[in-house]
Amino acid sequence: MAMTRTKTTGIRRAVTSGLAVAGLLTTVGCSGADTAATGGAPADAAKLKLTATTPAAEGAVAKVNWLLEDEPDSLDLDTQGTSAGRVVLTNVCERLYQLQPDMTIKPFLAEKAATPDDRTLVLTVRDGVTFHDGSEVTADDVLWSLERHADPDMEQSDEFPNVASMEKTGADEITVRFKKPDALFTKALAGDAGIVWNKEQVEKAGADFGTPGQTDACSGPYELTGWKSGDSITLRAYDGYWGEKPLTREVVFRWAADSALVNALKTGAADGTFAESPNTASALRGVKGLAQYYGLSTATLDLIPTERGGLKDPKIRKALSLALDRAGIAKSGYGGFVEPWASPVGSGSWGYAKTEFAAAQKELAATAPASPDADDIAEAKRLVKEAGAPTEPIVIGTDATQGRTVVAGAVRAALQRIGLKGTIKTVPTAQFEEFYSDPQARAEIDVLVADWYISKSDPMGFYDNGLSDSSNNWVGFEDATYDEKVRQALGTLDDAERADLAIDVQKLFADAAVWIPVAQVPSVLVLSDKLTGAPASQAYLYYPWAAGLGAEKG
Amino acid sequence: MPARLARRLAGVLATLFAASFVIFAAVYAAPGDPAVFLAGGRDKLTPERLAAVRAQYHLDEPLVVQYGRWLWDCLHLDLGRSFKYSDQVSDLVAARLPTTLALVAYATLLFVVLGVGAGVLAAVRQSTWVDSAVVGGTTLAASVPSFVAAIALVSVFGVQLGWFPVTGSGNGFAGTVHHLTLPALSLALGALALISRVTRQAMADAAASDHVEAARASGIPEREIVRRHVLRNALGPIVTMCGLVMAGMLAGTVVVETAFGMSGIGSLLVGAINTHDFPVAQAVLLLMVTGYIAVTTVVDLVHPLLDPRVREEARTA
Repeated sequence: MAMTRTKTTGIRRAVTSGLAVAGLLTTVGCSGADTAATGGAPADAAKLKLTATTPAAEGAVAKVNWLLEDEPDSLDLDTQGTSAGRVVLTNVCERLYQLQPDMTIKPFLAEKAATPDDRTLVLTVRDGVTFHDGSEVTADDVLWSLERHADPDMEQSDEFPNVASMEKTGADEITVRFKKPDALFTKALAGDAGIVWNKEQVEKAGADFGTPGQTDACSGPYELTGWKSGDSITLRAYDGYWGEKPLTREVVFRWAADSALVNALKTGAADGTFAESPNTASALRGVKGLAQYYGLSTATLDLIPTERGGLKDPKIRKALSLALDRAGIAKSGYGGFVEPWASPVGSGSWGYAKTEFAAAQKELAATAPASPDADDIAEAKRLVKEAGAPTEPIVIGTDATQGRTVVAGAVRAALQRIGLKGTIKTVPTAQFEEFYSDPQARAEIDVLVADWYISKSDPMGFYDNGLSDSSNNWVGFEDATYDEKVRQALGTLDDAERADLAIDVQKLFADAAVWIPVAQVPSVLVLSDKLTGAPASQAYLYYPWAAGLGAEKG
Repeated sequence: MPARLARRLAGVLATLFAASFVIFAAVYAAPGDPAVFLAGGRDKLTPERLAAVRAQYHLDEPLVVQYGRWLWDCLHLDLGRSFKYSDQVSDLVAARLPTTLALVAYATLLFVVLGVGAGVLAAVRQSTWVDSAVVGGTTLAASVPSFVAAIALVSVFGVQLGWFPVTGSGNGFAGTVHHLTLPALSLALGALALISRVTRQAMADAAASDHVEAARASGIPEREIVRRHVLRNALGPIVTMCGLVMAGMLAGTVVVETAFGMSGIGSLLVGAINTHDFPVAQAVLLLMVTGYIAVTTVVDLVHPLLDPRVREEARTA
């Protein structure tokens, strides 16, 4: 459900090697001088403190320069939803619910939300909110926006399969009725499916809506004042904002990849960025004038087995999971900026029942050790023997990025440790994406070195991928109990009850090793040490992070 | 003369037509499925959804039909909308073209002035230490790829010394010059070496010709000889080479654009190829081919003006 991949274009990858060279040159160029500029020791993943937010800001700031890793494709998230677009637009557009920095959600533009029964959601539209053109946010705008999101051609349409009807039932009231209870619907309303557009403005812009030179159609703390295609995007604080006024008046976004991004932050040309790649964080570690914060995120690195070859057997998959050196991968592939992890969703997905999920995660560690010990290897070998070792080598699909290369190497080493053979198949990045979608492309590999994040802070936003009819269930995992429990959890509105079910589901998924989790990937905020107040967690994609940003001292 | 121009124009159009088809076919044949990028998130990659996307963007039609569709729209001055950005292709290109053109112009200025200067210097001081220094220095420069030059320049003059900005393309004339100096220098470095070599050789050839010997025998001052006879006669190959190098740069800015975080035509093209953004890739590549043809045509037209012998040949041909 609304699973969105981290979009990393080939051009960014192509220059990753350049970054390493840049680091080398700087170090060589200034030996004896100030070498701290290229960062200190690698981070220790186990010691990364994952926080929700940074200390509150005290003073006003006239302008902040912010870096994105890429230019947004579009500022209409219904037609093209990418991370870069979200980072910008989340300050401009508001949603019916709001994801908080600690990854919980609360009603937002919907001032009140009532559930008279399991199949009805009544939203009351907040009073006194105006769009950036001065017109009032009405129930008609809300209904029109929801209908736009639900259109089959739009990005968020898959959030609406259980919706039976949506209608205006009062002057400022929308009633959504469901075919069956849907626990994730309100979570979707905190994401892109809950954006409230100004109907009149969107219709006026037509096909050009969201492209450079257009105005926004939202009600958030900032308004879009300019998008010079290929150059920059500028936001200015909206004077008529209904909520608290932002401390930062203007935010200018530019974009750069790898070494250019690192250099811009190093020289102070930019004040901050949410780093998508752990390499960026590692290159900027210990740089004077910059602070780094690591935040809760749902993102993980995983191995996704296919039904071809040896990994079709759950025993072999479990053996591989037991023998994999996750700590080694975190250290040499990602500079210690990822943490060995035993489930396919990061801790940012625990938007409720945090203690229960944390305890369950600890238990799962037995199936996915950080560093396998002798017992793990012995158990893995036993499983292989029981399964009857496959004779064909296991083909590991990857692209040439640094992290994935290291993971692929580690998988091969793990296979070797338990008496199996592995070969690595490296394809160009453009082709790599096809592995996710095309069973024919996948027919060439036995396991994919993958990354994944979910847009909702609920583990159940992930586990439908293990349903026997899911297109992301590549090994043909079929378990009636699992399917039943997933469906039950997705229809359970009570958080505590759903958490219990989710933990059961998670255990079944891990027992069958449908996917093999490797590490969780925190979100990284790099920020000038004169600024503070932005959230550090993955909420930066859905929460108006710039509104809280300001000077450290008043 | 008009007949010659018409012939040339027809030739250019035929070249563009052929190039547009070859480019279209090449982009079409590139590995990867554009529908995957167009469909949205990974959970939407069901066969039905992919089929619907292919139909919507006409990706399920044969190559020739797709090309015909593109050509028809193109002849109506419609380059289409980008798959990746929902924007008009013409707007995307127009927004990025100035950056790349400014970068190439600046780099051209650098390699022409410095390259020709160094070449002339080496030629008039042939077989001295000056000559050796120029030849040695340019050999070194030619062996440094532009991305290495870019990284070295940016880390020394941008990050360490802080003299130049490290990203973006700047605003206003002064701002643009300030921002583009390092990228233009990295781009010009390899070309600079090439041009200085060509200049040196062309000057040496011209200096060895009979009429220079005759001029020297008649007692004309050396400075005059170098300026009016040697350099003038050597200009043909120098200008031709400068033109070719500059035309090549139009297609080769991507590495430098990436290293300096500038959104130009080069990075637009690479992004388009990686995401299978057909309309953008097609338009940018065609623009590059057009630029190449335009520059080489201008060089061809200028050549006779510089060299009376070529003019004579053209007339008799």
